Amino acid sequence: MLLKRGNAEAGRARLPLAARSFVGEALDRRAFLRRSGLGIGSVAVLGALGPGSVRKAASVPGPMAGAPVEIRKNICTHCSVGCTVIAEVQNGVWTGQEPGWDSPINRGTHCAKGAAIREVVQGERRLKYPMKLVGGSWQRISWDQAVEEIGDKLLALREEAGADSVYWLGSAKFTNEASYLLRKFAAFWGTNNVDHQARICHSTTVAGVANTWGYGAQTNSYNDLRNAKTMIIMGGNPAEAHPISMQHILAGKEINRANLVVIDPRMTRTAAHATLYLRMRPGTDIPVLMGIMWHVVKNGWEDKDFIRQRVYGMDQVLKEIEKYPPEEVERISGVPGDQLRRVAEMLAKERPATLIWAMGQTQKTVGTANVRASCIALLLTGNVGAPGTGANIFRGHTNVQGATDLGLDVTSLPLYYGLTESAWKHWARVWEVDYGWFEGRFDEVPAKSGRDARSRKKNMETPGLTSTRWFDGALLPPEEIDQRSPVRAMFVMGHGGNTITRIPDAVRGVEKLDLLVVVDPYPTSFASMSERKDGTYLLPACTSLEMEGSRTASNRSLQWGEQIVKPVFESKNDYEIMYRFARKFGFADLLFKNIAVENGVPSAEDILREINRGGWSTGYCGQSPERLKAHMRHQDKFDIVTLRASKDAPEVGGDYYGLPWPCWGKPEIRHPGTAVLYNTALHVKDGGSTFRARFGLERNGETLLAEDSYTKGSELTDGYPEFTMGVLKKLGWDKDLTPEELEIINRIGGAQVDSVSWAIDLSGGIQRVCLEHGVMHYGNGKARAVAWNLPDPIPVHREPIYSPDPALVAKYPTRPDERQLRMPNIGFSVQKAAVENNIAREFPIVLSSGRLVEYEGGGEETRSNRWLAELQQDMFVEVNPADAAERGITDGQWVWVFGAENKAKARVKALVTERVGKGVAWMPFHFAGFYEGADLRGRYPVGADPIVLGESVNTVTTYGYDPVTNMHEAKCTLCQIRPA
Amino acid sequence: MARMKFLCDANRCIECNACVTACKNEHDVPWGIQRRRVITLNDGKPGERSVSVSCMHCTDAPCAAVCPVDCFYRTDDGLILHSKDLCIGCGYCFYACPFGAPQYPRVGNFGSRGKMDKCTFCAGGPEPDSTEAEYVKYGRNRLAEGKLPLCASMCSTKSLLAGDGEVLEEIYRTRVATRGYGSGLWGWRTAYGDTAES
Amino acid sequence: MATRRNPEPALVTLRVLAAALAVAFLVGVGPAVAQQPSGSNPTAMSVTEEGLLRELDRVQGRITIPDGKLAVLEQPQGRDYRRFHEGWLPWIAGIAILAMIVAIGVYYFVRGPIRLRRGEESGPTILRFDAFERFTHWMTATSFILLALTGLNYVFGKRLLMPLFGPGAFAEWSQWAKYAHNFLAWPFIIGVLLMLALWVKDNVPDRYDLAWLKAGGGLFGGEEPPSARFNAGQKLIFWSVVIGGAALSVSGILMVFPFALTGIGGMQTAQYVHSIVAAILIAIMIAHIYIGTIGMEGAWNAMGSGQVDLDWARHHHPVWVADQVDRRLDSAAAPAE
Repeated sequence: MLLKRGNAEAGRARLPLAARSFVGEALDRRAFLRRSGLGIGSVAVLGALGPGSVRKAASVPGPMAGAPVEIRKNICTHCSVGCTVIAEVQNGVWTGQEPGWDSPINRGTHCAKGAAIREVVQGERRLKYPMKLVGGSWQRISWDQAVEEIGDKLLALREEAGADSVYWLGSAKFTNEASYLLRKFAAFWGTNNVDHQARICHSTTVAGVANTWGYGAQTNSYNDLRNAKTMIIMGGNPAEAHPISMQHILAGKEINRANLVVIDPRMTRTAAHATLYLRMRPGTDIPVLMGIMWHVVKNGWEDKDFIRQRVYGMDQVLKEIEKYPPEEVERISGVPGDQLRRVAEMLAKERPATLIWAMGQTQKTVGTANVRASCIALLLTGNVGAPGTGANIFRGHTNVQGATDLGLDVTSLPLYYGLTESAWKHWARVWEVDYGWFEGRFDEVPAKSGRDARSRKKNMETPGLTSTRWFDGALLPPEEIDQRSPVRAMFVMGHGGNTITRIPDAVRGVEKLDLLVVVDPYPTSFASMSERKDGTYLLPACTSLEMEGSRTASNRSLQWGEQIVKPVFESKNDYEIMYRFARKFGFADLLFKNIAVENGVPSAEDILREINRGGWSTGYCGQSPERLKAHMRHQDKFDIVTLRASKDAPEVGGDYYGLPWPCWGKPEIRHPGTAVLYNTALHVKDGGSTFRARFGLERNGETLLAEDSYTKGSELTDGYPEFTMGVLKKLGWDKDLTPEELEIINRIGGAQVDSVSWAIDLSGGIQRVCLEHGVMHYGNGKARAVAWNLPDPIPVHREPIYSPDPALVAKYPTRPDERQLRMPNIGFSVQKAAVENNIAREFPIVLSSGRLVEYEGGGEETRSNRWLAELQQDMFVEVNPADAAERGITDGQWVWVFGAENKAKARVKALVTERVGKGVAWMPFHFAGFYEGADLRGRYPVGADPIVLGESVNTVTTYGYDPVTNMHEAKCTLCQIRPA
Repeated sequence: MARMKFLCDANRCIECNACVTACKNEHDVPWGIQRRRVITLNDGKPGERSVSVSCMHCTDAPCAAVCPVDCFYRTDDGLILHSKDLCIGCGYCFYACPFGAPQYPRVGNFGSRGKMDKCTFCAGGPEPDSTEAEYVKYGRNRLAEGKLPLCASMCSTKSLLAGDGEVLEEIYRTRVATRGYGSGLWGWRTAYGDTAES
Repeated sequence: MATRRNPEPALVTLRVLAAALAVAFLVGVGPAVAQQPSGSNPTAMSVTEEGLLRELDRVQGRITIPDGKLAVLEQPQGRDYRRFHEGWLPWIAGIAILAMIVAIGVYYFVRGPIRLRRGEESGPTILRFDAFERFTHWMTATSFILLALTGLNYVFGKRLLMPLFGPGAFAEWSQWAKYAHNFLAWPFIIGVLLMLALWVKDNVPDRYDLAWLKAGGGLFGGEEPPSARFNAGQKLIFWSVVIGGAALSVSGILMVFPFALTGIGGMQTAQYVHSIVAAILIAIMIAHIYIGTIGMEGAWNAMGSGQVDLDWARHHHPVWVADQVDRRLDSAAAPAE
């Protein structure tokens, strides 16, 4: 369909380089922008060059002979690995890209997306100026008009329906500073309805992992995989989703002759490089993990010392494991017991071993429990807290880790302080704004359907509704929605609409909104998915390559990105956009009290400094802009395996690359960051740490503090609780505080100065003193095999809402209906109805979804990139040859995929392949722009439509939410496939 | 003089297509022209491997032999480059090339398929190095700037290597010795094998 | 200059070992199943180039770009194509054409042209080819000659002309020659089709042909046996043009729309057919041109004015003349009845 050659592109391309010399005009930034905005008669010029002689239809400008070249460094935005992008800039135009050899993370390499990233900035399909939908057609407006109109509408809604009626959706492609700023912005607006993509990628990981040992992040790093002797990838396909990580994985596999085990329903590109591949049924991670642990326990392979010293509750887990003998596991998952025995043996005996996962484990109704099971398997075999071990959680976007850390989340203020009064007070102190002022910003929620009314303060401390359910928040009867009124407006920054399940419902949700604002470099599927005629605005944000700021990679390293070029077209950066709206809402002066604003653009460095001043809980306090910039200058000084610079390296001596959080204390004390979490073999000043003592001192008479385990050089040689001023005093260490530190602590504590903890001590004194004494201020606790505060304290198998096997549903039903995060979760009723209505007979194929290497997320950005779009021109469904033969489907043919809900259907191409097993189908989730067979290209603003459009898999995905985080179920539902 | 070659270690290639888009980015290769591509063999089946392939710059290049206008030439580095001024777009080189490297701007041959385009090993063409005339026809000349081809430089897993053939062989041999397996030097026998010179 | 080394022994051993392991594994689990089975070791099962080339004659896989021909990783047949194109074809074509020219030359010098007999000039004439027939012939002939020359340029141009013109001018000429070749293909194809329609009825083999052939058409002495409108020699030319022309047309169209209907193998075959048939047809046409021009006095007029001397016609195509005269008499007589 799109197999037309480049010359055809010339018509709408900007003036090609070939023609440039012809008109004798050097390309500079202004000329580039002028041409980009307006088509000029380049065809005629091209024609003059004669038949067959023109190769190029240059859309992106090539190098300019003679013009000086500036090199700028930024970070690739397409996944969490954090590859350095080296841009060559001439006359303000990005003209070339070079390999960034010095980066210890990617060592010059890229995947298809990173190698094509220049087009993301210079691409002609970008949204070029603010637009507004008037009677169904897009009109160009000015920024001032846009901010005025949107601002007035939002203020009116706030008045009429309350602050919670506006939903603020942020982005994992934000910088840390923008993430923090939007969270702060939402606090000033007066709502906790602020979320981002982490909800749909790793919210369950964060919940599950943090509830196990303290922090919800990858414990080790991509580079550290080079130390592993066994790598088990379960629920991840790094070859497509994190290609650069494969450099480290394959290096580990080769250098250590490590085992590379891939457990997946699909024979993925990653599995092709495994030394052992196991095929499981989608949605059976817990039985598989339990089955592995069953063999570990049966053979006595568990790490008894590690468990005794550092794990709570393993004995209770052992009883649960007994319920998963090999026969039962094979019946549920399809994986034979002897194969799991081999995995168990590797995990326990060929150490260090690590577990790697991504959305295969998290995007499930049992996401949190899956992740917990993985953590428990690591604890059981002593594979946490050392190089080559750990939970290597591969996150999704550039800065999804950072955006999560900085609280773009309905359940917490920045850096996991939560929403408690003390959290609000902490941030109020950092922001230098009166705590009481915030209280006045929040809604009062009336009593509804037997639920109590909520005061402003109570509402301030109540988690918001999640991005997975925003449309339920707009559509459900108001009494079902636990806030003052339903969602009336969406303010979406850098977030696609097609990555969330149940699109038919989302379409109705979008249509119900009073106001939809999309702030993005591309129109996104939000612009095209509905039949809205008015009340919709598109505001061009620049990409994060056009702005400076830090990003946190999956391994918790922060990297500072420079502005490569000024925002192209009329786009503006996130800081400026938020500043403009803050000014409109009247709280700009408060919001930017300690942040310099120059020409209307807030300073990223100042925002990071403010984060440093408040980020004690997670160790975001030591990464000053100056230190991060020094790291970018000296990338070549860091070791590729340990990520550490030698002690004598200039400026960065002894640091771990990117000061991976936690990087304790003030920047001046030069904590090196923490490359491997919970590693007791190092001194705390060298990045050593313990499991966090955040769950109390004891439970049911059993201690929750570590026993006989402590970090190297610790003055306390046993477990200990987290530090407060009181503990410090008890140990007599308070004498080590400087007068300035003491003064600040006294000011915070007032009458209860002893209760001032390491996390709210704005002086950093408690942290500094603890580090001096070789102890970890957050305490030395045990990891929890039993997390009693979670719905399933020990993971148990629960069938997906739409399961192909009703008998298994009877034995392993999903959790009962319950209210969570302002919403009812009626998964149990839906599952019951599906069994009663024999859905599995009508829709016999399990449908899973996932990622393609060429595209990312909702895909608007990458499908608008001609270098990437060419490589994947059609949405498809992978069908096993046996299933295809039964249905008379041939490779490449158009088929209908029918979903189990909403009578939904999607018209896609069949890719008949053995990658998927019989009875399983798989679709990529990056497509949008077609809906149930209809082409929606006309709904995009002219010229800003992505090159490739296709049906969204989420048109046919179904109900299902994790009880802890309301993560959606994107990995297992049921479908039927028929030739179209 | 170094003898430049490409080597794709299929035990490393993950079909990420970085080599493909790096090439497109560097040379602004138009839609429809694939100077480099990645092919997956035995897709989804036992033994699946992906291999990145472009012009291999063969020792005794079939394209050059069959060209009716002799537009190909061989550089001191052993690269097979061509002159678009001479090319008449007949398509013979594609029929002769074992690796499907030559590409044409137009699908049909009615009139002409346009000037053939292929991988230059980032070494441009007959025009003076790093001039606009060279860039327009052949893309950037990295070799003249002392840099190796971008596809291999950016390869995500260092599967694709470019450089002096002897060095590449040495790297590959070390890898195989370290890891204990190797599925071979894909395409080398065909590209470089039958001749005395290597 | 470094000499080509054999692959390192260690490498070979490892490869063999890996292959052996893979085989052992496959034997262990029975026949190779289509789907990657759970519990397998994909690393040890890697396909190899040699293995795939043994299995099939090329290495082909899956590619996401919608361009099927690019899914071929390696096609050793390119080497055959090259061997044919650079090794055999110049010899085959060269020999066929030169041999024909030499043979005709020898014939010409030994026997000379076939002269007119007395009375075969300036007598009454008869219409041998009408205007449309002549137009068809000349359209086809012109395009064929140009196609032949531009076609031969593909094979011999760089060998004969380039040294004379230099690469730039030769490429320029070749580019135009290629345009000419592609565009003139159409009048040629149309011409062949028209010829078939016009003359097929006169080219059906008949009872005179065998005798004509036995006597060598009188070319090597003796009387020319009688024939109808076309003698056996002309019929052979006709059928060579029709069959050869069809082969050239079909293979040529495949080349003008490359990969539209066939893969790389088909494209190569089309080239083989096109070039061999073209060489043979060129040789035949040289003979045809010879006989129609200097080889036989009086023949030119047939395609020139269309009128031939009645006596000449009686001499060479007595049956046809008789037929024509009869028919004319019939038509003259009819109204009288």
